[in-house]
Amino acid sequence: MSLSITRINVLPSTRTLASGVPFANKINHSLPPQAHGHGHSAGPRTDSPPTWAQKLSGSVSVLHVNTLPNTLVFSRSFSTSSRSSAQSGSAVGGISHHATTSQRHGPTGVPDFTPYRASDTSSNRTLSYFMVGALGALGASAAKSTVSDVLSNMAASADVLALAKIEVELGAIPEGKNLIVKWRGKPVFIRHRTSDEIDEANAVDVKTLRDPQTDDDRVKKPEWLVMLGVCTHLGCVPIGEAGDYGGWFCPCHGSHYDISGRIRRGPAPLNLEIPEYDFVEDDAKLLIG
Amino acid sequence: MASPIYSTIFKRNSVFVPTVFLAAFSFSIGFDMVTSAWWDSHNRGKQWKDIRSKYIEQEE
Amino acid sequence: MLSQAFPRLASRASALPRLSQVRFSSSSTQAQTPFLASRTAVFASTAATVGLTAWYAHLYGISFLPEASANTAAEDGLHPAAYPWPHKGIFETFDHASIRRGYQVYREVCSACHSLDRIAWRNLVGVSHNVDEVKAMAEEIEYTDGPNDEGEMFQRPGKLADYMPAPYPNEEAARAGNGGGLPPDLSLIVKARHGGADYIYSLLTGYVDPPPGVHVAEGMNYNPYFPGGGIAMARVLFDGLVEYDDKTPATSSQMAKDVVTFLNWAAEPEHDQRKKLGLQAAIILSSLFAISIYVKRFKWAPIKNRKIFYNPPKEAH
Repeated sequence: MSLSITRINVLPSTRTLASGVPFANKINHSLPPQAHGHGHSAGPRTDSPPTWAQKLSGSVSVLHVNTLPNTLVFSRSFSTSSRSSAQSGSAVGGISHHATTSQRHGPTGVPDFTPYRASDTSSNRTLSYFMVGALGALGASAAKSTVSDVLSNMAASADVLALAKIEVELGAIPEGKNLIVKWRGKPVFIRHRTSDEIDEANAVDVKTLRDPQTDDDRVKKPEWLVMLGVCTHLGCVPIGEAGDYGGWFCPCHGSHYDISGRIRRGPAPLNLEIPEYDFVEDDAKLLIG
Repeated sequence: MASPIYSTIFKRNSVFVPTVFLAAFSFSIGFDMVTSAWWDSHNRGKQWKDIRSKYIEQEE
Repeated sequence: MLSQAFPRLASRASALPRLSQVRFSSSSTQAQTPFLASRTAVFASTAATVGLTAWYAHLYGISFLPEASANTAAEDGLHPAAYPWPHKGIFETFDHASIRRGYQVYREVCSACHSLDRIAWRNLVGVSHNVDEVKAMAEEIEYTDGPNDEGEMFQRPGKLADYMPAPYPNEEAARAGNGGGLPPDLSLIVKARHGGADYIYSLLTGYVDPPPGVHVAEGMNYNPYFPGGGIAMARVLFDGLVEYDDKTPATSSQMAKDVVTFLNWAAEPEHDQRKKLGLQAAIILSSLFAISIYVKRFKWAPIKNRKIFYNPPKEAH
């Protein structure tokens, strides 16, 4: 019997009485925890208070409780009564007589928690800040990986990238000849220029051009001119080795490009575009893209 | 009374928050290195980078 | 007993009847039956249990009872043994030397009949071969490309971006060349077959003479692992069929292991990365979970522990 009593757990302390005493069902806190052994059989914690507990002795206060309970278990958040809830059931709607002298815990009835307090709060504080910071750091790095993974989904897939670059054998193009290759669905002009053509391209006065660009800006090696074969006017494909300037001629609306692919006459506003390219394997191959 | 870690890092939020981001940055690199190192040692000899050298030499 | 083991639960459960009692105490003084002990609750929970059991039985059959099946064991095929693959386990990568040998077996043996449509040459780079090797292998194959300026298709040597060449131009040609049987594409075969790698290994090494009484149709071969027993594919792996360049003895079981590893890689090229990322994610997420519990308890501690006191003023008499 006494064993089972010691195992009664107090409910979560958020559920407290108005007096601050933790609410434990069927525990009568207002009874004096007197040691018995003087004859009577009732233990200190029973639901029905024995009659001697209600004995009028010493200073007596009589409380009149008239309100009906209007919430679930505890009718009021604050109460001037220090009665425990164990009695409230029987007190509903009636008048209860209560002896205030039977309090055992002082005015609030809260147990003393001093032994549980940390002796050194400094290390506790450091630990708490550390844990909060660690949560932030881990979360930030996880969020960063998530975001970068999601973004990498939007990048071009491997099979697209595999087709995005092409290699061209340069040895197959004799001097003074054009080669047209297809790259990402567009034609690319590759011209192996003669030294005369290079001189011609350099001789032009840049200031007179519609889209001023020197020949050096347009080639990585002067003998190789690589450019997108799309007219900058309306997207036709110009014809090679044609036009008034010895370069390219767009048959659609009559734009003339020179031997460096610069616009000289006609409606086109810009020079022919230069794609990204590189010479690989000791200049034997051209890598476009 | 306050520990040196507290007074240098935690006391000011203007120090604390950049420290957290810096820690996140270095942690992601360090974590990647540590897990990769363990992964590679656990799978030693099985991955391509472990056997790659054999076939490079063979080519020459 | 129960209330001793779970004192909190018990006190809460006993608080329940109080709840209804207090609420209705103005109208009735009689003690109410708690809801959990009511007939309605008993009927509802019984109905829910019966319903869930019936639903489960409808979906998956009655548990603990053997099911009658129209198939014999032979018709289902022999169940393959679980083999200790080098990549079995959540921390294990593929054995890439085995993938390389397996590619050789596929190229020299399997690719005569089976296609590998979803694998491109570039996929082999950095997995089983280096870039120059793959380029050389791809260039040995002629691919049709085009159209060119004259509008005609032309042949060109393969590039890294090309996919593995198929042995037959279409399904009909494949059936015609194999006595009516269609050799399946092997790109996803490990994922597509029940038993996965174990099944394919067992199938490749499991060809035996048909037992007495088993009739195998003309042009079919007997394999106990194949559902039904009769398989159009004949045994292909014999000892010494290929010569590995790393001097591994080419026994038929070694070749089967290698080619199955290769096919497993073909079905799951992301396999190694997936397992590594899974390890990292598990570590990060579980630490995040643990620390967030600490922080939650830390933040809630003052709220959980607070007491509200009200000291009434002394009544002036």
